[in-house]
Amino acid sequence: MEEKSNLNGKITYNKSKKLNGYTSIIRSSLATLLKNNKSKVGFILLLSIVTFSIIGIFYTPYNPNAYLFKFSQPPNFVNLLGTTGYGQDVFSELLGGAAPTLMIAFSVGLLGTLIAVLVGIFAGFTSKTTNAVINAFINIFLVIPGVLLIMLFGTYFLGIHQNLGYLPTIIILVITGWAFGARTFRSITLSIVKRDFILSSILIGESKMSIIMRQIMRAIMPVIVSNFFFTSMYGAMGLTFIEYLGVGNVEQVNWGTMLYWAINYEAYLTGAWWWILPPSIMISMLMFSLILLNFGLDEMANPSLRVFKKKKRDKNE
Amino acid sequence: MKIPIKYIIKKITLFFAVFMGAITINFVLPRLMPGNPAQVVYSEILKSGGSGISPVYLNQLEVEYGISKAPIYIQYFQYLDNLFHGNLGISIAFFPEPVSTILAQALPWTLFLVISSITISFFIGNRLGRYAGINRNTGKDLAIDLFSMFMAAFPAFVLAFIILDLFSVYGRLFPIGGAYAINVNEGLNIPFIISVLYHAFLPALTIMLISLGGWVLGMRNNIIPSLNSDFINYSENLGFKKYQIKNIAYRNAILPNMTGFAMSIGLSTSGVIIEESIFSYPGVGMYMITAINSLDYPLIQGIFLMVVIAVLVGNLAVDILYGFMDPRIRQEGE
Repeated sequence: MEEKSNLNGKITYNKSKKLNGYTSIIRSSLATLLKNNKSKVGFILLLSIVTFSIIGIFYTPYNPNAYLFKFSQPPNFVNLLGTTGYGQDVFSELLGGAAPTLMIAFSVGLLGTLIAVLVGIFAGFTSKTTNAVINAFINIFLVIPGVLLIMLFGTYFLGIHQNLGYLPTIIILVITGWAFGARTFRSITLSIVKRDFILSSILIGESKMSIIMRQIMRAIMPVIVSNFFFTSMYGAMGLTFIEYLGVGNVEQVNWGTMLYWAINYEAYLTGAWWWILPPSIMISMLMFSLILLNFGLDEMANPSLRVFKKKKRDKNE
Repeated sequence: MKIPIKYIIKKITLFFAVFMGAITINFVLPRLMPGNPAQVVYSEILKSGGSGISPVYLNQLEVEYGISKAPIYIQYFQYLDNLFHGNLGISIAFFPEPVSTILAQALPWTLFLVISSITISFFIGNRLGRYAGINRNTGKDLAIDLFSMFMAAFPAFVLAFIILDLFSVYGRLFPIGGAYAINVNEGLNIPFIISVLYHAFLPALTIMLISLGGWVLGMRNNIIPSLNSDFINYSENLGFKKYQIKNIAYRNAILPNMTGFAMSIGLSTSGVIIEESIFSYPGVGMYMITAINSLDYPLIQGIFLMVVIAVLVGNLAVDILYGFMDPRIRQEGE
């Protein structure tokens, strides 16, 4: 990035160059990420799941909500993945339910990471007392088991005859899911702030905002992305929990409610594997792809995990 | 060994701060919600055609739920006073059983399940991760990684149903539910212990499989840099044997996982609650599902509080243990 010092000693940046800098960083990190075999597989997997969900928005073979077929049919040519115990087409449900599931997972990931970054960096920059208070606050949310809080919320909503729709679901999952990331960002910021290059930036007279955006954000970028993946995983997992407990809106079609109905119908006892396995496998594939991508990120942030061709120790082992 | 007093004091202070926070959340949440539990239950009874119900009953319900019209700070002190005396109210679903009695029955089973399965998965996971890290980028490494990742990604309750189905319903190898057989006497005798272990096997196995992934991957990613570090090179040159070097690297790599251990107690408690309801294990989870279905607010709040306290105490214990294990933390506290 090109830096120019004007007479007042303030640093100004060339706007277009700055933008260019960020895009080139993103491009080069993506390239590094895709060099890793595991994250390449993860990326392709995630891309195909996203494509699957986009198709599901515009087209499903049958109406996923309609009870059109015979009950509990095993897979055949009319119903690719058979039918549910209530006569819906499993494949249509799977296709149509993909988009809401991904939407919830990624919005939880996005919002949770955003809050985590804001809280974490703020805690790292403020006075010692505020930092301690925020730390205690983070710990409260970290320790309280998320599922219990969901149950607590969910029953109150049930009490006033309301289900957790998609928006309350996202809010609850963000409330219970942001703390883990905030803890990480707080400790990373604390360690970065103490280093010399930040001190010299402060001495030059660079504003706090600029230090955060220009130096700290860049240093924690891989961690932010990795946290996004983990929080998204938490979102997907949390959605299935909410639906399983029956506190969500079970009339909506997503992978969580599919599992809810399958389990309520005791599909695992009647041997209707085509009903219970596809949503489970899709959920685990989604999580799997995110874990794999995270593997690559780990190796990017921590070069000692990378594979080096010739090494003395490898021979000894 | 020097006792890290400052560190311990710091941890205990944090413990009380978080504890008060959790108690306050438990107090505030119900009061934020529109309507109150008594009204909900009252209208529920009216709807199902309950005859002979009068507003007097509503008042009675409100008294039972501990709902008062007093100013909020007085309510708060009353709530703290009740908590201090172990008075958590009376359950609705299991009327007239007090919540504290139910919890006293259920909590030991849950703790038993959580502690045993998490400890086992911690040891197995670390061993597997160590093995994968030492043989990294081989077929074995990949197999272990993929297996543990897949397990971590699979929805927990579906896995529980599949295991229950395979081993209990079709296989008939393990019991379908309960914590021990009916024909054994409760107490410290061998048939009882065997029966308890036999009944706990499947739920523990499920929790173990789910939580394995985190340990394996964490260990693997910790031990690889540890094996590459200078002190390992140095010990290699000093002529340490191979297994000794692996042990040195292992002992350094296990520390981050120890912190994770404290946190996973909280996280896995959530999972355990679900597992218990599926395996009909008489722990907190089974009561929780009943409580949700019957809108048993006092019981839900009691469970919430108990689990949070248990998790906090577990965290504190591990934190203090950690202070003894890692000399760097001991010094930091001095």
